[in-house]
Amino acid sequence: MRKFFTLFFKHNALLLFIAYCCIALFFMKLEKKDTFSKLQTSGIEFSAGVNEKLVNLTSLLNVDKENERLMLINRDLLIKVLNYETTTVDERNLRIILDTPTFNASGFTIARVVARKFSERENMLVINAGWSNGIKKDMTVLVPEGLVGRVISVSEHYARVMPVIHTDFKVSVVSDSSNCTGILSWSGGAESIAHVEHIPISSRLKLYERMLTSDFSTFAMRGIPVGKVVRIKPDKLFYSIDLRLAVDFSSLTQVLVAPLKIEPEKMAMSNDSTLIEQNP
Amino acid sequence: MTKKISFSIIALCIVTLVQEFGFTRLALFEAFPDALAVFIAFLAVTQGQRTSTSFGFAAGILAGIFSGNLGLHTLAITTGGFLAGYFHSPEDSHATAKQKTRRFYGAVLTAEFASHTMITAVYNPLGLSPEYRIVTLGLLASLLSLTLAFIANRLILRKTFAS
Repeated sequence: MRKFFTLFFKHNALLLFIAYCCIALFFMKLEKKDTFSKLQTSGIEFSAGVNEKLVNLTSLLNVDKENERLMLINRDLLIKVLNYETTTVDERNLRIILDTPTFNASGFTIARVVARKFSERENMLVINAGWSNGIKKDMTVLVPEGLVGRVISVSEHYARVMPVIHTDFKVSVVSDSSNCTGILSWSGGAESIAHVEHIPISSRLKLYERMLTSDFSTFAMRGIPVGKVVRIKPDKLFYSIDLRLAVDFSSLTQVLVAPLKIEPEKMAMSNDSTLIEQNP
Repeated sequence: MTKKISFSIIALCIVTLVQEFGFTRLALFEAFPDALAVFIAFLAVTQGQRTSTSFGFAAGILAGIFSGNLGLHTLAITTGGFLAGYFHSPEDSHATAKQKTRRFYGAVLTAEFASHTMITAVYNPLGLSPEYRIVTLGLLASLLSLTLAFIANRLILRKTFAS
């Protein structure tokens, strides 16, 4: 007995350690029980609550940095949203052009209007297709709704287009019902109204007739819609005709560029009268 | 004696809170200094093995409540306290302050490495290799705790060891 107590007092630290380990193992075994799990969840609840308060305090001290960080995130998100919206709109407009049932867009080059210049007497468009895309000078630019203009200069990736609403632009037009031909021009003012000249008073042109490009044009292919007659005012020998243009130039995004209209013989015939005698 | 024990219990609670909400945020490669190991080591050097084992048990319960692994932390820190108790410097040993300080550092290393190894052997939340966790992270944690012990010795404990 004495030896036992001697041993006990000598190794009481070790015995205490063993007792504590047994209790700890007992805790580990009972950890899944309700009582202990409640104790654990309470401890976690307290710990998480204090941590949250500390985090809130820290964030309160760093409000400026946090605001700056959020502003940068906002900026990036806004750029992404704008890009997505722009892409969606472009895709929709492209679909409109390609899905128009009465218009065969194959063989035409699709381009996007990337810049436009508007002033009281001058309008110019820039499209994102150049000679690397097969674009050449004097090609016709159109949309399914109607004629847009004419390519006047070309670079590798871009081309400048003189639109119908340009003071130097002229095109030969013909009415679809009465076959009256004239020359379309635009003299400034309203974007949607152009004028047709050289239609004689004897013609049977009526209001709301559609005007199309005629075969007389040196650059535009025949049959492209141009507009609708909205006013006929008789003059001495000719009518003064106002045409409401078919194309809304303020909402142009996607355009088509038609292949070049090459008729060298016709050009030669138009320019040189001596050629007439060579054909028996 | 009762006053000493009460003071130690209050100090234990404060150290546990500081460890749980302070030092765990100072992680370096997933290892952080252990204020509890420093406290237990101090008790081991000054009070003896029974005190350090008992306080290791209590510290383990407190740490386990906060972490969610009650049994594992109790076992680990109790073991650390027990092993640190071997560095006890009896009052009649006439050990110098320097010798007590060295024992204190030894106790810190032992307590920290032992408790870290025990926890690592059972609980592996990141799926790291045992060798990496036990050797690399264990040594790193011990080093960080040793740094903390050095700072604590310089600021607070030097007078206690000297007396």
